[in-house]
Amino acid sequence: MRATATAPATTRSISIGPSLTRVTVVLGGGAILLLSAVVVAVAIGSVGVGLGDTVAILGHRLLGLPLGRTIAPGAESIIFDVRLPRVLTAMLVGGGLAVAGTVFQALLRNPMADPYIIGTAAGASLGAIAGLMAPILVPALAIGVGSSWLGLGLVQVLAFGGGLATVLLVYAVSRANGRVPVVTLLLTGYAVSSVLAAGVALLMFFSGQHLGAIFGWLMGSLAAAKWVNLAFAAPLLVISSALLIVRWRGLNLLLLGDGPAAHLGIDVEREKLVLTMLATLATSTVVAISGTIGFVGLVVPHVLRLALGPDHRLLLPASVLYGATLLALADLGARLAGGIPVGIVTALIGAPFFIWLLRRSRTVRVVVTP
Amino acid sequence: MAPRLRLPSTLVILAALLLGACAPAGSGSPSATVPSASSAPSAPAHSVYPLTLTDDAGREVTISAAPARIVSLVPSNTEIVCALDACDDLVGVTDFDDYPAQVADVAEVVIGAVVDVEKVIAADPDLILAAGNEATSTAVIDQLTDLGYPVLALYPQDLQGVYDDIALVGEAIDAQGTAEELVTSLKAREAAVVAAVAGAERPRTFYEVGVFEGSIYTAGKDSFLASLISLAGGEPILGDAASTAIQLEDLISADPELILLGDASYDASVTVESIAARSGWSDMTAVREGRIVIVLEDLVITRPGPRIVDGLEALARAIHPELFP
Amino acid sequence: MTVAVGTDALADVEGVAFGYPLPDGRRRDVLRSVDLTLTRGDLVALVGTNGSGKTTLLRLLTGVLRPDAGAVRFDGRPVGDWRRPELARRVAVLPQQLDLPAGFRVAELVEMGRAPHARRLFASTEADARAVSRALADAGALELADRYAEELSGGERQRLLVAMALAQEPDLLLLDEPTLHLDLAHQVALLAAIRHLRDQRGLTVLAVLHDLNLAAAFAPRVAVLDEGRIVADGPPGEVLTPDLVRRVFGVAVDEARTADGRRHLALHEV
Repeated sequence: MRATATAPATTRSISIGPSLTRVTVVLGGGAILLLSAVVVAVAIGSVGVGLGDTVAILGHRLLGLPLGRTIAPGAESIIFDVRLPRVLTAMLVGGGLAVAGTVFQALLRNPMADPYIIGTAAGASLGAIAGLMAPILVPALAIGVGSSWLGLGLVQVLAFGGGLATVLLVYAVSRANGRVPVVTLLLTGYAVSSVLAAGVALLMFFSGQHLGAIFGWLMGSLAAAKWVNLAFAAPLLVISSALLIVRWRGLNLLLLGDGPAAHLGIDVEREKLVLTMLATLATSTVVAISGTIGFVGLVVPHVLRLALGPDHRLLLPASVLYGATLLALADLGARLAGGIPVGIVTALIGAPFFIWLLRRSRTVRVVVTP
Repeated sequence: MAPRLRLPSTLVILAALLLGACAPAGSGSPSATVPSASSAPSAPAHSVYPLTLTDDAGREVTISAAPARIVSLVPSNTEIVCALDACDDLVGVTDFDDYPAQVADVAEVVIGAVVDVEKVIAADPDLILAAGNEATSTAVIDQLTDLGYPVLALYPQDLQGVYDDIALVGEAIDAQGTAEELVTSLKAREAAVVAAVAGAERPRTFYEVGVFEGSIYTAGKDSFLASLISLAGGEPILGDAASTAIQLEDLISADPELILLGDASYDASVTVESIAARSGWSDMTAVREGRIVIVLEDLVITRPGPRIVDGLEALARAIHPELFP
Repeated sequence: MTVAVGTDALADVEGVAFGYPLPDGRRRDVLRSVDLTLTRGDLVALVGTNGSGKTTLLRLLTGVLRPDAGAVRFDGRPVGDWRRPELARRVAVLPQQLDLPAGFRVAELVEMGRAPHARRLFASTEADARAVSRALADAGALELADRYAEELSGGERQRLLVAMALAQEPDLLLLDEPTLHLDLAHQVALLAAIRHLRDQRGLTVLAVLHDLNLAAAFAPRVAVLDEGRIVADGPPGEVLTPDLVRRVFGVAVDEARTADGRRHLALHEV
């Protein structure tokens, strides 16, 4: 990573790029932290399953090893059918939200940006609630309470589609003369989100006994995690995160502004479109399987930027690892606190920490305009 | 042909009876159904497993063997199970369960209205009784069904619904005889109340469920509570079907002749005097004539289980004290 | 006015017209017919009134804008035929202003100038480090390498921008009003450094300047843009006459000579 050269006419050596040590500590440490968090989160829950039993069950179901011991009835089901999919979902959701948030903050050059800002949350919420209420409003659609497409529920499919469709709409509306100025994108996203949010509110007003389910979805929760959702979400999130991680140079350059980035060889409009679509793909996938969990996508990028610096070369992979760890642990806390929505835990713990970090540094600007 | 085969077919029936009687007891083995071909008085039917039932949400649920470990996700279901003499089979209840007293020793799998799926699994149930209408969330019911448990969702909307649910649970746990007896006695008590109040004047009755921050909650249109008040000989003043709220001006114009304070069951500050003190209430007929009744049995009036008829009787006593000395 | 096209023309603009689209569908014509040729080693100052299209011309040269008419060529090929990173390896722009991302050190920002040359997916190469090092040295910004961008003064920021442009190792350097925010000493120092680089490295330089005296002192060739055309192109002594200044800029000036014989333009009393 790091390269060094001695400047002519002086003995001063200039180093660029993060050193191998730094990369190892940050990313390697992050990976180890994530793995530990996953093991801890799977081992702990409202029903006690010993660490030895946990490891044995995981080894048995994942690697085919023989159990070798008698375990309490239901322990295998608890570990493998309830906790493992939930923890893996938390990992994917946390990583996806963090990387998408990092990308949007750089793309929109705005420290208040989160993954939902250009309309994903509003569109996905409308889709999800329509999915929740459709079997009630139109009984012909109630093909069975467990109606599904490829094992996915109507809610998931409509949430995913709603998020993507909304961003495409916002993008198309913001386009003028072949360019999409960042400020226009932000404002259009806000406007479209407001309209869709009004639609959501209207549906909520008429929802009757389903209000609790709708509210739960809007707060975001990992309680309904299941393997079939993971099978759909994992490849999408892994691929979109990987494709975003390798585009770190473009993101760094876009911070300089559209003009300078173009002069440095970036096809600015194409890069903005690709980045927006990849980040939206990740966000829509996350929202489809877990509702709109807030806070992670906004704060994790800032915390990491304060700790590691703004270079996306390290920031993007770090956001995936540390975002995943954060949410896996936050979800453990949510489970132990009686099943409260995980977004509450992240806000309660994350916000004070973020404030403390803010006071230590001077500012969280993304760009400094001269 | 038929006459000549009568003897062999009777022998076949007898053989089946004997085989059925000799089948080993215990889970997994189906018990033979006693045929009702003869004119003997109808004996209580036994459930044949595997058994497929349709619950109140329209789902088809298959129970593979007579349940011996039952989890109840809502107090009314717990009471049904205990009323059917299967209280000892309960392995999971809610933290709101309070009747009968022996359920206090059963593990809590629902805490603060949140179903703890891990605890349900740890209880190792073979039947789960949930609530319908999102009182137990559909997502949880789906999750438990996906894990392989038979889940019956019960949602009675009137007295007949309660009787049907008691019969359904009776069939599910092979207690059909007990269920029939219970339903018969409940129906008799219901009929007694209806007969007693027939012909009596039906006062406009306002049942106060609660007053919070200026919103007044009462029996909603087409609700269970409204049907009970009606059966108990009152003319219920109705709130909105979805929210069960009623605007104060609508209540004043409906002018109740009788006010039943259901929230007095939980809130000591709700007294006869406190009602008269509420602004806008003092001109109501009920307040002027002092026909305000403290109701302490709100729990059984609103819990749709076997004690619902206790609630009906309590309502009847409150509305027509002169008929039930 | 066209300078004869030599065999080592690096960039040339021929008969170019350009207008910006307006919201109501009309166009705001900025350039009507511009002819300008830069040969290797040229050091040209581009002057003109506000809104005369100087920045537009620069953006046409880098391919960010496409001309409505005429041709823009770099190294013989139309600019539109070049792939963006390919062109960025040859042409660098010192912008009028730049949003500086917070938290980056000077050396890291200069490394962004290496983007068109990037070979590896994640790593920085030795070649990159050397280019960054050299760019910082040439820009006189070596001692700023570890400073944060947001802490820099105006003059230091300018040196950073120069280093970023030099890190691209370009053949053609386009400067858009590089002296705008600088005090006089820094203005002179910057232009002297650019001139030195041209001499040392064989850079070709086109600088948009607003100060006529500075342009005359800095560049051996001045091109004047007025009403969408190049109306004068040649040595400053021949081009920047009082007559032209009055015609193009609408200001009356006198020509004067210094003690050692150098000509300069003096304003009448304001």
